Amino acid sequence: MAAVGRLAGGARLSRPRWRTGLLLALPAILIFALLFVAPLFTLVANSFRTQTGAFTLGNYARFLGDPFYRDVLWNTLKVAALTTAGCLLVGYPFALYLRGRSARVRNWLALLLLSPLLISMVIRAYGWLVVLGPNGPVAAVIQWLGLTPPQLLYNDTAVLIGMVHVMLAYMVLPLMGSLDRIDPTLVPAAKGLGAPGWTCFWRITLPLSAPGMLAGAMIVFSLTASSFVTPAILGGPKVKLMPYFVYTQATTTLDWPYAAAIGFVLVVVTTGLLLGYSRLLRRGNGQVVFG
Amino acid sequence: MTRLFRVLGAAFAALVGLFLIAPVAVTVASSLTATSYVTFPPQGITLRWYAEVFQKPEFLSSFALSAGVALAAAAVSAVVGLAGGLAIHRYRFPGRAALEAVLSSAFAVPTIVLGIGLLQWFAQMGLASSPFTLLLAHLVLTVPYAVRLVLAGLAGLDRSAEKAAAGLGAPPFLVFWHVTLPAVRGALIGGAFFAFITSFDDLTVALFVVTTDLQTLPVRIFNYMQYDYDPTVTAIGTLMVLFAVVAVVVIERFVGVAKLFGADTQERS
Repeated sequence: MAAVGRLAGGARLSRPRWRTGLLLALPAILIFALLFVAPLFTLVANSFRTQTGAFTLGNYARFLGDPFYRDVLWNTLKVAALTTAGCLLVGYPFALYLRGRSARVRNWLALLLLSPLLISMVIRAYGWLVVLGPNGPVAAVIQWLGLTPPQLLYNDTAVLIGMVHVMLAYMVLPLMGSLDRIDPTLVPAAKGLGAPGWTCFWRITLPLSAPGMLAGAMIVFSLTASSFVTPAILGGPKVKLMPYFVYTQATTTLDWPYAAAIGFVLVVVTTGLLLGYSRLLRRGNGQVVFG
Repeated sequence: MTRLFRVLGAAFAALVGLFLIAPVAVTVASSLTATSYVTFPPQGITLRWYAEVFQKPEFLSSFALSAGVALAAAAVSAVVGLAGGLAIHRYRFPGRAALEAVLSSAFAVPTIVLGIGLLQWFAQMGLASSPFTLLLAHLVLTVPYAVRLVLAGLAGLDRSAEKAAAGLGAPPFLVFWHVTLPAVRGALIGGAFFAFITSFDDLTVALFVVTTDLQTLPVRIFNYMQYDYDPTVTAIGTLMVLFAVVAVVVIERFVGVAKLFGADTQERS
């Protein structure tokens, strides 16, 4: 049954050629089988081993039994949630503003929004080190006001600022799509019936843009929980986040099985939350938002 | 009242714009400082730090390694992406559904987890780290984008031109070369450039694959920053920003940057 071309049509194109399809897809299949599926299986298998190779559940018991590591997991979820909230707070008004602009202005602002994703992550984080550093502009403004600048770097706040900077695009783009799909006659109609501006916003614009908000929130949350570069540079060892501990366990402690277990916990927790969340959404308004 | 809102809206958008460009603007400006520490606003203007960059052989060799691997990743991704995209879009074959599922879930796996998985897998296979293993690792990051763009290019393609060509007696290869390929060329070039940037910028996966003698530019900068905090890094940063700007202009010209991220801002005309 596989031997049927997907699109029937002209003489030569319709000939059933699943062999050709397999041949064309073979390089991609090989790359992902050998460099994606196999490494992830190795990782999961190693997470159930001791350093000498015997089977154990100890790595997981160690993770779950250690209040320090539970704290790392908790802090990771907290920073991801705060980043999501920050992106929503900054991104929603920004998306609303973009809605009324010309295609030209929108394109430029969208490019600006995407620029953090296209500039080297290391360099971008380094830029924030300068902005928030003791010789940077933020400290200078605080000093100019006659106050002593606090330590702005190497804490959760610094990580939060850096993460919102990268993730903003992932929030604003779905929001823009969602806002654009709202029937443009609804708000004038409500206004004509005497509803004040705020009521229009609360009862029409906000609920109808919910799919965009939820899609954006989901992407931002999962990407933040698993990002390494920005937290490592802006937070350093003091900020307790899962990806950083995967890195240190693997490269400094050289405890590969434990690093594998932490990594696998990270994958399970984030995808588990996302699955639960999307199930909740589907039940909530009968539509699939993510995808 | 509406006027007030408009002014407030514009002011807010300007603030967001400032927030978005702040780290880059500050990096570029402070690369010109005459002081030996990083400061903003820069004090004095000098190109000394750029000269320093070119006097550090380890940075130059890291640049060469990064650029070489990124070029190879771009070329391989374009070819594999074109073949894979065509296969998924036009053929039914065993494993098609699995391939699609893996391609879309590749985005969801944290790169740090992928990095450590690759480290353990390469070790088990007895593969020593080399530019080649680095390329293999980067393909996992870049091929999904290339396939995705090719699929987007094919989705918008009217197949009647292909049928007409075939009906007029063109053999399949000529139909592909003269009709199909030109139609997805933009997507292919965009995918290749994006693959280049992704590979060139990758730190997370590279950290696990590299050794002390074999460091990509992001890894070199990351390690350098642990000990030194001087304007050389901001000078390198500025060069990399310039590099990215050129790449973005090229992508924008061929496909539109927004499309890479699954959003088309011109949806509403």
